[in-house]
Amino acid sequence: MASVLLNDAEKTFILHGVEVDLRCDGRRRGDYRPMELETDVVSTASGSARLRLANTDILVGVKTEIDVPYPENPEEGKLEFFVDCSANATPAFEGRGGEDLANEISSRLSRAYQSLPLAPLCIVPKQACWKLYVDILILECGGNFYDAISLAVKAALFNTRVPQVTGSFLDGGSVDLEVSDDPFQCWRLDITKAPVLVTLSKIGDNCVVDPTAEEETCSVASIVVAVLDSGSLTAVIKIGEGSVHEQTLIETIKTAQKIGVELNSSLMTALNQEESLGPKRQRFGFLK
Amino acid sequence: MAHSIRLASERVDFSVPSDKAPPQLFTPGMVISQESGFMRGHGTYGEDDSIKASVAGIVDRVNKLVVIKPLKSRYNGEIGDVVVGRITEVQQKRWKVDTNARLDATLFLYSVNLPGGELRRRSVEDEQMMRKYLTEGDLISAEVQNINSDGSLSLHTRSLKNIKYGKLGQGMLIKVFPSLIKRQKTHFHNLPCGASIILGNNGFIWISPVINAEEEHGGFTINLEDAVPKSVREVMVRLRNSINALAASKILLFDTSIQYAYDQSKKYSVVELLNPEVMLDVAVMTQHQLQMLE
Amino acid sequence: MPSDSKRITGPETTIPYHYYLSDFSRKPDFKDPKVGERKNGRLPNEHRPVFLKTGVNSQAKGSAYLEYENTKVICSVFDPREIPNKNEFSPMGELYCEFKFAPFSCIKRRGHIRDAEEKELSFSLRRALEPAVCRHEFPNFQVDIYVYILDSDGSDLAAAITCASLALADASVPMYDLVTAVSVGICRHLQFVDPTNEEEQLCKKTASAESIDPQAVITLTYMSTLEQVSEFTISGTIGVCHLEDKIPALIKHCNAIYPLLQQCLIKNVKKSLGKKKYS
Repeated sequence: MASVLLNDAEKTFILHGVEVDLRCDGRRRGDYRPMELETDVVSTASGSARLRLANTDILVGVKTEIDVPYPENPEEGKLEFFVDCSANATPAFEGRGGEDLANEISSRLSRAYQSLPLAPLCIVPKQACWKLYVDILILECGGNFYDAISLAVKAALFNTRVPQVTGSFLDGGSVDLEVSDDPFQCWRLDITKAPVLVTLSKIGDNCVVDPTAEEETCSVASIVVAVLDSGSLTAVIKIGEGSVHEQTLIETIKTAQKIGVELNSSLMTALNQEESLGPKRQRFGFLK
Repeated sequence: MAHSIRLASERVDFSVPSDKAPPQLFTPGMVISQESGFMRGHGTYGEDDSIKASVAGIVDRVNKLVVIKPLKSRYNGEIGDVVVGRITEVQQKRWKVDTNARLDATLFLYSVNLPGGELRRRSVEDEQMMRKYLTEGDLISAEVQNINSDGSLSLHTRSLKNIKYGKLGQGMLIKVFPSLIKRQKTHFHNLPCGASIILGNNGFIWISPVINAEEEHGGFTINLEDAVPKSVREVMVRLRNSINALAASKILLFDTSIQYAYDQSKKYSVVELLNPEVMLDVAVMTQHQLQMLE
Repeated sequence: MPSDSKRITGPETTIPYHYYLSDFSRKPDFKDPKVGERKNGRLPNEHRPVFLKTGVNSQAKGSAYLEYENTKVICSVFDPREIPNKNEFSPMGELYCEFKFAPFSCIKRRGHIRDAEEKELSFSLRRALEPAVCRHEFPNFQVDIYVYILDSDGSDLAAAITCASLALADASVPMYDLVTAVSVGICRHLQFVDPTNEEEQLCKKTASAESIDPQAVITLTYMSTLEQVSEFTISGTIGVCHLEDKIPALIKHCNAIYPLLQQCLIKNVKKSLGKKKYS
């Protein structure tokens, strides 16, 4: 991850701050920084969202295309994640610099998203299905990638509209797909089974949510927990080079689960609120 | 406030209303003057007898010299400036310091006060001990001693009477645009709210607990054992968030404006100061108070 | 491994015939008591027998072979070398881990180029080993660890981690502690410690999208002396309440494997000492 250079005194200051539950920007250990969300920002994508969490800026676009199902799952669609750590965010990502991080995030995301039912994406079993390409662009990095990305992805999937397609068998077994002429005849994904990720960084003996880039450099181990609306977990990932004690692990997962449920509900509130503004609401994008 | 997800429609515009008419702005390639007899300064180039801007900004004329000052730039040092910088490299007899300028500044071994008196000779041992004094990542406050021909700065940390340059201990660094720092007689302030602040001309601001003047000058040992008490920490954090609020609304930073912003912020909790609306309110109120002063 | 464009990777569109077996797509019927019964009469919390051997590759600095019945893993560790393509000084040494399935090790043939799953498992392997290695002792150098799954029958990651830790120890790479890893598969009320491939499939297959029953495979890596968890992954859906008793249970299993690694290493030393006596 793009690391920040800090000296021991600054690290000590951050560490003590976490200890007394007053972090460097005034937050308590369990507080998030204010986020800003907008969906439907890219007209050519089937669904899109932009999330800004302090300095972290994530743009997600979802494309729907038709593909042939995997032979092992003939009645399911496909879902694939691509993360692009563009050099826009930091020169450290230039060339292949961001590749490792991008691969890591996309593989972790697809693991966490295994809970999303893909059966609705099937058009004709064994013959045709929808493939959702979820492309994630990191525009600016200010720490806490996983949380920001997962929120943006969930919002983009909420915003995704899949066209109505009917498939029928022709003579000889080939398949004929017919896309509805009405561009508004679409259906939307059920995202109750889409998780959000909550990162808890261990700094000293305590864990903080939503670490800033500075706090991330002070932490040797972080636990990322993928939480569903229902509170079930779909993935637990350890990042960083350190290790944790068994008791800490359990405690951390419990805290993360609680936060994840809250985060899910506030995300849904925000999305519904935006939805209620109607389809003709003003798009802000990067302006203003 | 555990977490809040806002919509883009609620986005806050940070600009603060001002009575002053905006100055004329130039963009690269725009003709500034077609008369001859002017001297081309920074941010301009000459073509076909006319002077054109090469950066976006406002024009500044000093006698015959025409300069375009960019709205946003890296730090252009001037001799005597107080800067806060971070050591990026240890080299032969010198340190490289990131000061937000185009090139890293240099701090020569002979420009620092070493432990054991000012007039001490720099020995080979000192050279080998350089990493012990200052290492990569350390923060220092220093004064610009000289500007080299390539535009890079030379710093020194020899302390004068009551100003203490040198290695910085526990505290927080904020980065703002260098142009937001108002040039003043002193850039070291012990604010009445109970924190100490160094406003580096290069846009790096250092907030720390009040420095005890009796401490040894030019020390390189940092106390990592003692935790900053929570009450002091709260003041520092509030100060940080107030400064960020001012910086977001592009209000000049100096001791008075910071103190005003700090007082204005008192009606909110520290965490609330991260909210854009609150930040704008603090900035507007501070601006108002500053105008009253004029 | 640099991908070799001249190498014939074989047709990619082939499908293993197993997918056409009638058993393959059948959903498990959980009312049937036979579902969840393990082969060879294994108990739900019984680990398969473990076979360990070090020094299987004479040219590597250290190597190990591990077998859990049909899961067979081989791992080689090579001498530290300078980190390639890196200019700045890194105070900590690095571990380069490569996790690879042999092309014939799974039901579906694996390609020669690492796919996404293998890359992800490589990450996990690295995360699991990093806390255990004294990386500050070889700054600016990297140790290469290559894990090859020869035959895959479930618990691949856990087997790979344990095997790699043994290979690191065999290579005399300085370590704080040995690491051991164990997986557990959970499917509704059933649990399988050290699951086989079949059991893993049962736990991964989302039987019905609406079900809120736990279905997951959990892998935990533990350093027994330091009492630290160095890697923990879950894939599947599970409630927090299930984790609370699974984590201590997994640690118990890790602790049980730990002495086997120790014995294996001690035996090696004794053997080489013994040889010296007579030569």
